[in-house]
Amino acid sequence: MSLKSYSRARAVHVMLVYTGGCNGCDIEIVNCIFSPKYDAEQYKVFLTWNPREADVLVVTGPVTKHNEKPLIEIYNAIPEPKAVIAAGACALMGGVYKNIHGDIPSEEIMGPVENIIPVDAKIPGCAVRPEDVLSGVVAALPLLLDAK
Amino acid sequence: MEEDNKITDKKVIETEVTMGTVHSAAIEPYRVRLFVEDEIVRDAEITVGINHRGIERIMEGLPVEKANSLTEKICGICSNSHIWNSCLVAEKAIGIEVPERAQYIRVIMEELERLHSHMLYLAHGNEVLGHETFAMRLFYIRETVMELLRIIGGNRVQYGVSIIGGIRPRCELDEMRIQKIREGLNLIEEKITEFADRFVSDPMIMSRITGVGVLTQKQAIKLGATGPTLRSTGVGIDLRSEMESYAPFDFDIITQNDGDVKSNLLVRVLEIPEAIKIIRQALDNLPEGKITNRSWEMVDAPITKSYIEVPRGTLYHSYALEDGRVRNSIIRTPSIANIGAMQYATIGHHITDAQLAIVQCDPCFTCTDRAIQIIKI
Repeated sequence: MSLKSYSRARAVHVMLVYTGGCNGCDIEIVNCIFSPKYDAEQYKVFLTWNPREADVLVVTGPVTKHNEKPLIEIYNAIPEPKAVIAAGACALMGGVYKNIHGDIPSEEIMGPVENIIPVDAKIPGCAVRPEDVLSGVVAALPLLLDAK
Repeated sequence: MEEDNKITDKKVIETEVTMGTVHSAAIEPYRVRLFVEDEIVRDAEITVGINHRGIERIMEGLPVEKANSLTEKICGICSNSHIWNSCLVAEKAIGIEVPERAQYIRVIMEELERLHSHMLYLAHGNEVLGHETFAMRLFYIRETVMELLRIIGGNRVQYGVSIIGGIRPRCELDEMRIQKIREGLNLIEEKITEFADRFVSDPMIMSRITGVGVLTQKQAIKLGATGPTLRSTGVGIDLRSEMESYAPFDFDIITQNDGDVKSNLLVRVLEIPEAIKIIRQALDNLPEGKITNRSWEMVDAPITKSYIEVPRGTLYHSYALEDGRVRNSIIRTPSIANIGAMQYATIGHHITDAQLAIVQCDPCFTCTDRAIQIIKI
């Protein structure tokens, strides 16, 4: 194990990007990392708002038109190796906002997240449960740790 | 006259500080432009519309039951308020009588939601202040409410309790659930009293928040502020005192007089025991009987309006019914009424207080952004 991956395994920084969902997944993810009940910080998972120090990008929401460009910029700003997690029904397939009228997609929604940036792990649920967020972050860890 | 000068006093604007749309200081995507002179904010401009999903457009032509479920997805914090108000519009339009037991359970859900929303606000406020210990403590107390919501509704965030004519059968309150709610309320009351004592007696926090982000009563009324933001300036307007569902309950309207961050935080802290009081009264006097009125037929109706008081202020829903489908839906959420107050509260203060002044009005830009029309240029 290289020195980089050794240190990375001891401080995984998660960045949360919110792209126009309903706030539900957003708060559940902050809750999962921040609140003393779930407390992901005890597993050395930290929440950050700076893309330059992030390892894992968690995206919630169906990616509205105005959020597409900032999302790509944030993705490019995160240094390699990186992992992207799509959390919640909106991020996975556009949720209730995209395909509500059958096959006619909404013009306002550019998502799901897969259309815009590559996604490594997916967390289902509306809204996601904090337990699922933890297992999603753990599922993305090998991508970071095995990287040369 | 002094307040008026404050807003029009634009000398040479030296610097513009822009935050957003995605910024570490603003968790939700929105854009703030601060016009700064000698580190004092002279003018502010908040731009919303980044989260626009077009929910009112999606609701057009949907069956009314489906549209009601969709309104719940407007906001993950006050989801019950939206589905409740949307059901109230349909009930008013068709003329459905809601059983008394269902009304009581709706009030219980709404007050539980107020508890978790206010605690989230206080936690976020403390995080912005830099006091992470209090923020974590409030997240810990909030977990009790989330657990109660999960027990009643089956989900932690969007629980879909109201349907047209009553509440869902799975959300019926039996003895076990009532017992759990009572135990949870006792725990919350004990912890929140302890928190409030420590919060008010902390000289560091009090000196940080007193006199910051001041909104005068005159300006709050002029800018159309609503909810706890308005009540923090001494105006005792709470729509709950006029709502039919709240008629059986006895509660006080909390007001503070200063309109600064301290008053805003204290209004929310003091509203938590009032919400607990309402839930206890509802549990004590819970009437027996049916929870859903299924004997109604769909009729066409003109545009019908409904206003309710939600954790952030006054919420407005209106739509017309045509062949059981929703037409001309309009939704106005409290945060859009408070944007003017947010802008005004930052003016005249140091730039480091700007975020605190915006957060004190409890913004929910997710709610706000479906209510506006984006003009393509």
